[in-house]
Amino acid sequence: MDKAYIIEHGILELYLLGELTPEEQIQVERVLNVDADLKNEFDFLETNFEKMAFENAINPPKEVKEILLQKIKKNQPKIIPLERNKTYKTFLYLASGIAACLLIGSIWMFTKLDEANTQIQIVEEQNQLLLEDIKALTSNLEYASKYLSIVNSPDTEQYILKGNALAPEAKVVSYVNHKSKSVIINTAQLPKLDAEHDYQMWADVDGVMIDMGVINKEDNLLAMNYIDDAESLNITIEPAGGNDHPTVSKLITNVYL
Amino acid sequence: MQNDNLLISKIQNKDEAALSELYDSYSPALYGVIIRMCKDEQEAQNLLQDTFLTIWEKSLQYNPEKGKFYTWAYRIAKNKTLNFLRKSKNLIQTEDLSVYTNKEDNINIDPEYLQLSGCLKQLEKHHQRALELVYFNGLTHREAHKEMDVPLGTFKSYIKQALKKLQLSYNKSMLWLLFFIEMIE
Repeated sequence: MDKAYIIEHGILELYLLGELTPEEQIQVERVLNVDADLKNEFDFLETNFEKMAFENAINPPKEVKEILLQKIKKNQPKIIPLERNKTYKTFLYLASGIAACLLIGSIWMFTKLDEANTQIQIVEEQNQLLLEDIKALTSNLEYASKYLSIVNSPDTEQYILKGNALAPEAKVVSYVNHKSKSVIINTAQLPKLDAEHDYQMWADVDGVMIDMGVINKEDNLLAMNYIDDAESLNITIEPAGGNDHPTVSKLITNVYL
Repeated sequence: MQNDNLLISKIQNKDEAALSELYDSYSPALYGVIIRMCKDEQEAQNLLQDTFLTIWEKSLQYNPEKGKFYTWAYRIAKNKTLNFLRKSKNLIQTEDLSVYTNKEDNINIDPEYLQLSGCLKQLEKHHQRALELVYFNGLTHREAHKEMDVPLGTFKSYIKQALKKLQLSYNKSMLWLLFFIEMIE
């Protein structure tokens, strides 16, 4: 855009009226800055434009000015500090809100953590108990399978020891396996003894009573010592913990093999 | 002019008294333009007030090196008025579905009141009309040549001639003024 084009197309006038695009405006301003003639022409145009407007001025009513000044007064002193205050306060509210949330969150998490810790402890204890149970069950199972294999073996013979006059209701089932040299007895039907006495089992070998072991009060099914060449099995009542020699007067049952 | 620049720099520093003074100087000229564009007294007053609020708020955008204060204020007033007219035109169109063609229907103001005066009056009718449409009714050249029912090129030359004649008549009155001053002295 040069001087000739600007003059020919009445661009100055459009510039005056603000009808050019921002790019065109910048171009015209650039030319006006360097071209004194054109600048002069524009000044004339602008001056006449203003004169024309002043010649055709119409006085607005006084209220317009009053309302305008009121509006400015209302807006001016308040807007800036209010907004600053507002944003400041909003930030303060926001910050305290976040802080409160964090605090409550931390407390909540702390209680949760405490709960979780207690639960872990309980679980660990239960785990320990379960492990012990499993150990016990495994050993029980081992015993039971061992007993069962003995009891079920075709080489096992079963002898029933029935109580005599001392203990008429007593009944002990014994399983003797000469091949594996094991003896298992079922004492479910032995009458209960007091704490000072135990049942003890004996094997008779050539007229000598050999100790087969004290019968455990807790178990119903238990293994006793196998004695070679035993002729009979005998059960006596002995002082707690067992005796070196059987008390024959306290014999409650026996069976010949 | 110097005084104006001083006032404007005061306004840029939010001096209410300066705005009041500037309003007294320029509001009649701007009101004359606005009311001739929208032809509604009440709306023209609202738009004038709105124009000065914008002047107050955006005073920092005014650059005295680029032109007179009046030119800057005129552009603000014209844009506000044209926006208002566009909006109300759309409103009328959507309300009764008929196209709002006859602007004269909407005039609630005595045409005598809006008649142009000053050096403009000394111009030929078509020159006067051309300047009125562009300067006082806010029409673009493209809108104005249709309004006058002449080709765009013809309309542009009307404007050029009108401005030249106006320049001459202002110069003449300036000469007369100088002559009188000389006489008095």
